[in-house]
Amino acid sequence: MSHNLSHHPDNVMLVEFSAGTLPTAESICVSAHLHFCEQCRTELLRLDQVGSQLLTEAEPAEIDESLFDTVMAKIDSAEASPKPATAEKVQSFPHSVSKLIKNPQHQPIWKRLSASVDIARFKTGQSEFEVALHRICAGGKTPKHDHSGVEYTVVLKGSFSDERSVYKEGDFLVRQPGDVHQPMGAQNGECICLSALQAPIKLSNPLGFLMKPLLRINPM
Amino acid sequence: MLRKTIDIVDKNSQPAGRVAVLNTSEKRSDEWSLLLISVGADRDRQAFAQLFKHFAPLLKSFAQANRHQGWFPGLGEDLVQEVMIKVWQKAAGYNPEKASATTWIYTVARNCRIDMLRRKSNTQHLPLENEDYWHEPDEDTPVSLLRQKRSETKVQDSLSQLPKEQDEILRKVYLEGKSHAEASEELGLPLGTVKSRVRLALQKMQILVSPEYQDELSHES
Repeated sequence: MSHNLSHHPDNVMLVEFSAGTLPTAESICVSAHLHFCEQCRTELLRLDQVGSQLLTEAEPAEIDESLFDTVMAKIDSAEASPKPATAEKVQSFPHSVSKLIKNPQHQPIWKRLSASVDIARFKTGQSEFEVALHRICAGGKTPKHDHSGVEYTVVLKGSFSDERSVYKEGDFLVRQPGDVHQPMGAQNGECICLSALQAPIKLSNPLGFLMKPLLRINPM
Repeated sequence: MLRKTIDIVDKNSQPAGRVAVLNTSEKRSDEWSLLLISVGADRDRQAFAQLFKHFAPLLKSFAQANRHQGWFPGLGEDLVQEVMIKVWQKAAGYNPEKASATTWIYTVARNCRIDMLRRKSNTQHLPLENEDYWHEPDEDTPVSLLRQKRSETKVQDSLSQLPKEQDEILRKVYLEGKSHAEASEELGLPLGTVKSRVRLALQKMQILVSPEYQDELSHES
């Protein structure tokens, strides 16, 4: 599963991921990239040591003596009613993505976005980014478009290209607002990408509701 | 049972002497890791009590350092409880080859802290918990423990010697739970400066793996 990738999250994102301050949508994309990228997994192991070292150096706080017994009592009562073990299957998709696909509260479904692109939106419980899978058919051309917000993309299957490069499984891309691009699916098979697209700032215009059906970006 | 100790080394392919050296030097023998291994393998309550005694005060202090919006100091003991319960429940999955017990417990604490914050600020059902982001593929290439320990030592030694301006940003991010953007606002520094200080710190601690990657990053800035 690991091969050399040329497009990674920058180290600021990895630091925030390790520190646990990276927001949900970005974290999902980073975790999808990690599934494919051994190099970033190694860097994260080391970054976690930074957190670990800072934890060790903390001035120990006072703990109420009864806390240990409280914890043991909770452990014992949890063990009295064990949860059924769920069999972990070998997954070709990153774990976080598989879990979103199987979310019982919101089963994502493919919807046609254009002649060659389908979208399946995820429910992730945040409102800044639309997190979704995009499927580009083999050789499919997407319309030339630009973004009002940041877009993160991780290739999960197949490959696609744009004016700048070819992107393969695991590659992590960031498009800034204003970047114009026209992705194209590889000729030899469909391409599936995870993407997180920042939603535009909500309009306070009293007629704003009229625009809503036109906005394709739909965080949930 | 120890999970995947280095004894797996293929003895046929190595001169006998070398195997012996690897076996003695490539085991994790610090006190906390051994205790965590016995909690996982034998459900050892005494070992767990010792871990609790050492880590609970540190975890509470870690929780109290958090300055994230929506967090308050009273959550300190809640976090300690949640983390220690998880430590007990997940100890069997601890892989000493990959991380020291302290680092492993840090990751549990980090995940619990985010989940507590997300649950507080969100009334709807959240499909993912933070540990879902950290699921590693099964076929992960095992890291050499020796290499792993060397990098741990490097991080430990160089973290304490970082210039104050780099150290303070890492503390804001790891302990206070701030993003780099928030850190730059609080320190009155441009975001680019904050990012380059962090990059310098990571280089000093030898955290970045690929030299090309570092080059690529310096082009971006």
